[in-house]
Amino acid sequence: MNFSAESLAILGGALALAGGLGGAAAGMAMAGYSGIAILAEEPKYLKSVIILAALPMSRVFYGFIILIFVLTTVTPKIAAMPDPGGAGFAVAACSIISASAFLFSGIYQGNVCSAGISSLIKTNGKILTNSIMLAVFVELIAVLGLVFTIMALSLLNLM
Amino acid sequence: MVVDSASLATLGGTIALAGGLIGSSWGMAIAGSAGVALLSQDPKQRKNVIILASLPMSRVFYSFIIMILIVTTVVPTMNSMPEPGNYGLAVLSIGSMSSVAFAVSGIYQGSVCAAGIAFLSKTNGRILTNSITLAVFVELVAVLGLVFTIIALNMLGLM
Repeated sequence: MNFSAESLAILGGALALAGGLGGAAAGMAMAGYSGIAILAEEPKYLKSVIILAALPMSRVFYGFIILIFVLTTVTPKIAAMPDPGGAGFAVAACSIISASAFLFSGIYQGNVCSAGISSLIKTNGKILTNSIMLAVFVELIAVLGLVFTIMALSLLNLM
Repeated sequence: MVVDSASLATLGGTIALAGGLIGSSWGMAIAGSAGVALLSQDPKQRKNVIILASLPMSRVFYSFIIMILIVTTVVPTMNSMPEPGNYGLAVLSIGSMSSVAFAVSGIYQGSVCAAGIAFLSKTNGRILTNSITLAVFVELVAVLGLVFTIIALNMLGLM
């Protein structure tokens, strides 16, 4: 059977959100392991652990932004084209950029946060700011994945 | 063989349910293996182990909600459309997106619960609250996967 260009575009949007969900779950879990180990020793660091373990969650919302863009803007544009041709597959390919950006940055940001959490006791909680700063470097990859996907869709005249 | 869009949409619902079942069984097994090891040393923590090891079970119900929604609402809507053409693959990909969310978050939530269970004896059960807090972060990914699936089906006009 033939798949239309719109449905391939929606497949792309769903792929981006799936990458974001997977990255966020894996990253938060990795930070969570060391969080539990630290809290078993010193329960007073609960606030810092919660802050660091929640950082990878933003991927979910970035992925959702891509899906919303595809559903509200890209799909109507493709439907209005007289001959969409390969436009649907192009959107699916652009979403693979953001899906892998969200997945990998989520997992590895979880590792950075986990390293920060495991040094909380030794530094009396002072490492919090520095580890947020280093985690934001990895966050930047996810933001750039979002921005570049939107840029690629605009260059394709689909937004 | 011709596959019509209603059957593709139903396939999406079953893939979502399969992801939820895989995630919860795998996650509960990871938490359960840590629980068995702990209970052989310290049988009085059984209540806490049961609480932590049953957390990943919620995926089953979330994915069952999606399956029910697709079978009872989405498929009749598609059958009443004159030209359902595009929607089959769209529902299939959105269902697969939630399946990824349930499977990955279930497996990783099981590991977080296993980390919590491993520290139960050392902290005399005090780690229970903190590890539930950190496991709920991963639970959030599954809930967001459910919510975003429903939002996406809504935006497609299928609900």
